[in-house]
Amino acid sequence: MGRRSRGPPRRAQPFQGAESEEVTDSEEESVYSGLEESGSDSSEEEEEEEDEGSDGSSPPPTRTPRKSKTLEDESALEGNEALLAQNEYEEDSSDEEDIRNTVGNIPMEWYQDFPHIGYNLDGKKIYKPIRNKDELDMFLEKMENPDYWRTIQDKMTGADIKLTDEQVELVQRLQRGQFGDVHFNPYEPAVDFFTHEVMIHPVTNRPADKRSFIPSLIEKEKVSKLVHAIKMGWIKPRKPKDDTPTYYDLWAHEDPNSILGRHKMHVPAPKMKLPGHEESYNPPPEYLLSEEEKLAWEQQEPAERKLNFVPQQYRCLRAVPAYPRFIHERFERCLDLYLCPRQRKMRVNVDPEDLIPKLPKPRDLQPFPTTQALIYRGHTSLVRCLSISPTGQWLVSGSDDGTVRFWEVCTARCMKTLPVGGVVKSVAWNPNPTICLVAICVNQSVLLVNPCLGDKLLYGATDHLLESYEAPEEERIQPVQWVTANVEEHSKGIRLLIQHSKALKQVTWHGKGDYLASVVTDNSNMQVLIHQTSKRWSQNPFRKSKGLVQCVLFHPIRPYFFVATQRYVRVYNLLKQELTKKLMANCKWVSSMAIHPGGDNIICGSYDSKLAWFDLDLSTRPYQLLRHHKKALRSVAFHKHYPLFASGSDDGTVIVCHGMVYNDLLQNPLLVPVKVLKGHVQTLDLGVLDVIFHPTQPWVFSSGADGTVRLYT
Amino acid sequence: RFAVQDVPFSVPANAETTDLSHLINKLLAADNADHKYVEFDFLINGQFLRMPLVMHMETENISTEEVVEIEYVEKYMAPQPEECIFHDDWISSVQATEEWILTGCYDHTARIWSLEGKSIMTIAGHTEVVKDVAWMKQDSLSCLLLSASMDQTILLWEWNVEKNKVKALHCCRGHAGSVDSIAVDCTRTKFCSGSWDKMLKIWSAVPTDEEDEMEEAANRPRKKQKTEQLGLTRTPLATLSGHTEAVSSVLWSDAEEICSASWDHTIKLWDAETGDLKSTLTGNKVFNSISYSPLCRRLASGSTDRHIRLWDPRSKDGSLVLLSLTSHTGWVTSVKWSPTHEHQLISGSLDNIVKLWDTRSCKAPLYDLAAHEDKVLCVDWTEAGLLLSGGADNKLYCYRYPATASDVGA
Repeated sequence: MGRRSRGPPRRAQPFQGAESEEVTDSEEESVYSGLEESGSDSSEEEEEEEDEGSDGSSPPPTRTPRKSKTLEDESALEGNEALLAQNEYEEDSSDEEDIRNTVGNIPMEWYQDFPHIGYNLDGKKIYKPIRNKDELDMFLEKMENPDYWRTIQDKMTGADIKLTDEQVELVQRLQRGQFGDVHFNPYEPAVDFFTHEVMIHPVTNRPADKRSFIPSLIEKEKVSKLVHAIKMGWIKPRKPKDDTPTYYDLWAHEDPNSILGRHKMHVPAPKMKLPGHEESYNPPPEYLLSEEEKLAWEQQEPAERKLNFVPQQYRCLRAVPAYPRFIHERFERCLDLYLCPRQRKMRVNVDPEDLIPKLPKPRDLQPFPTTQALIYRGHTSLVRCLSISPTGQWLVSGSDDGTVRFWEVCTARCMKTLPVGGVVKSVAWNPNPTICLVAICVNQSVLLVNPCLGDKLLYGATDHLLESYEAPEEERIQPVQWVTANVEEHSKGIRLLIQHSKALKQVTWHGKGDYLASVVTDNSNMQVLIHQTSKRWSQNPFRKSKGLVQCVLFHPIRPYFFVATQRYVRVYNLLKQELTKKLMANCKWVSSMAIHPGGDNIICGSYDSKLAWFDLDLSTRPYQLLRHHKKALRSVAFHKHYPLFASGSDDGTVIVCHGMVYNDLLQNPLLVPVKVLKGHVQTLDLGVLDVIFHPTQPWVFSSGADGTVRLYT
Repeated sequence: RFAVQDVPFSVPANAETTDLSHLINKLLAADNADHKYVEFDFLINGQFLRMPLVMHMETENISTEEVVEIEYVEKYMAPQPEECIFHDDWISSVQATEEWILTGCYDHTARIWSLEGKSIMTIAGHTEVVKDVAWMKQDSLSCLLLSASMDQTILLWEWNVEKNKVKALHCCRGHAGSVDSIAVDCTRTKFCSGSWDKMLKIWSAVPTDEEDEMEEAANRPRKKQKTEQLGLTRTPLATLSGHTEAVSSVLWSDAEEICSASWDHTIKLWDAETGDLKSTLTGNKVFNSISYSPLCRRLASGSTDRHIRLWDPRSKDGSLVLLSLTSHTGWVTSVKWSPTHEHQLISGSLDNIVKLWDTRSCKAPLYDLAAHEDKVLCVDWTEAGLLLSGGADNKLYCYRYPATASDVGA
């Protein structure tokens, strides 16, 4: 069958003299081309037939007969010699047509390039018959000549010979693998000369040799030599076979518990994506690509494509063709497996609950304010500031409506209203319980007001103390002016005015109640002033301005002074007159500050809704940064006795936190948010403006932009 | 009156008080032809029935298999509003007798009203808010009364009824803070006062012509003159100190015992004779008001949360709350036991509501008296059948309550 593949190139060769081969070749060629055609045709037809769903494919009926024909032809060629011999005898009878070639049994190709084909008995050249048949003639002949199939060409003479019936039968017999002679029987019964059965007579009558039954001397000699050698120990008995394997366990000595153990480093193969709807042979219509999508898909880089195939719809599963990308995909999968990152993901099995620090439940941290109890109504504009008397009986609030109101805490009764003629920025009740005095920031002056509430003896003594001031002989130059109130102001309760040059922002008392500090909206070094009430003497503690001062605070016990600028809180030692510490608030703009009654912890509220807790002994950075509020913090406050602190924010809520400071220096403060107190209505985007704790009870007051003060208990 | 035969009845489990009431009425009507319909309230083991029977029995863990004894009483009728007395300012305190009502007001005065709501007398003399008032002695001709004020004094007044004149007999000075509460003892010769300055002081209430010596600072002649106008200065007989915060309420539980409630979360019992502290009841909230009923010997306290708590002042283990009545939504500012009924008390709260309670029903009050438009600051009730409440809306409301019905068992 090797020749068949040679067929097509031969077709291109020009017509030449090698007829015999040419014939077979052309035969083969036609057969082959026919096969080819029918094959391709049939495959197409098959497809069509399948599409139509009609009856199954049937192989073209012409194929097998033709093939057998070529087989016949070939076998005919093989039997050429015999035919020629037969022809010799046949042609003996007719002597005129005896054109016997005398070249002998040589390859006839030698004469391929000659016009003759050999020589006859007379030594004359036998010329090749003139063959001018072209393909068409041959085809016509094939079609018309009924004996074409039994016509062969004589290689020696080049003449066409028509095979007789006997010859055809002979060829067919040979092809079937039978003997050529019809009468030859290949299966005649065979006669055995030697049988497998034991007969009574031996095949030979020769007696057995003597040496076959006497022991061999040579062998005896050899055995005795061996015995002697064994006795002498020259021959060792065979060693037992060493069955230790030639291979060994490479990882036998590996520590099975080590993390690097191979079995522990098993990296599972990356998982394949599971097929989706788009890979279905009949996907839902939304998975099919529209024309634009298809165009876009084609224009995309193959690596960028979301899908590496176009979803296609088939009528039925049978209509789905073979998957053309199968090999490609397998290859890519192999690449994936080969190149997958052999990195072990160290997943830590941690319960997320364990990561949350253990905080006590708010229930166990009672008491703290939980509900709104009283609303102090009366102000007509936002209430900016609050302060409470040291006994906890009176509350003072300053508002944008230009009044300061004094309230009875337990009934929300407004006891006094003091019009001050300006926005009240800050109020501070003197923390000394023996002095009844309130400092109020209005415009450019600090008013020292005796509210005449509470113990008569106390506020009488306070008045007496203020009146007992004697001016020093020489006038000292002061940054502010101390003015005694006139009669009308005196009747309202105002006792002294400290007139500054700029608008005031904040006022705060020292714990002893003699000194007070005021903050001016200014960016010079005159921002912070410290006043002494008993001597009516003011001083400016700072030579240089360190930024815009937001608020100031006295340390409750030690001579420290806290100044909060926008980002830092500076701690000054008032006795040594030096900067002790600078705390980084880690926030953009500090709004308020409060100090723990113990004096070692500070909280700072900031406009970027953070609350920073500083432990002064620990670090200059916040110990904790609490972000509970949604909006800017306006005010923070500590409770004097209970471990509570509160923050008020623009979002209208007050958040109360438990802030336990331990006496043990090693134990860090415990901060637990315990309650969100709501109640204030947001007005002008402002919520709670000030918060303050009751000095003795776990109650918190808040003042809001809605003009109310609320008490939560 | 309403006795029925003591025969067990089978009652549907989902019966409510109205159904049971109908049942009793039918039984009574069968016995007595001229029976009129009466509404009843029902008690099971001393608890008022306020929900369907089955639910009540579930919550009280009573088996439905047993025979349950249901007591019934005539339903306590709702108090009828009578008068609304207008004041000029907040009413801080009220005390009524059979004939007159005495109120303390935030406009620095105390006022006397008739029961019909007629203003009889306005007593001005204090320089600050009057925080508490009390009747001392009542005669047909003259009455003695007390007013305590934020100006740290208590004034003892004599009111001549016929002439309708009032005279300040004594000015009790000695407190260093607002005097928030006064209480007169049962012999009407002494009274006790509690103040913001954490002290309790016991004073003699007998009017005399002598002035007690007061070591006053010599440098305040002006103040002295002013007080001299208001009667003779009187100094306390005894001072009881022990509270660490303001005293909000005092009372005499009997002739020898003073009971005081304070902002330091305690109720203290004092021996009035010796001035010794007898026992302490500790709560966890600020006490606003206490009341003692000699009928049931219980203390009721109103504090700065929503609950009214009942205490047994004689219990040795101190801080045991017997019962808490919860229905208010704000601070309870004042409580008062009924003078005639051992189970009833009223309470006023910052949530503007006065509630009438029966201790046998601690989840819900008998009646809500929601007339006030602002905080209720004081409540009182008289034996004559009047409920009084005053508040921050400047109004004093009077209610007539029915006389106590007799209990009948079944």
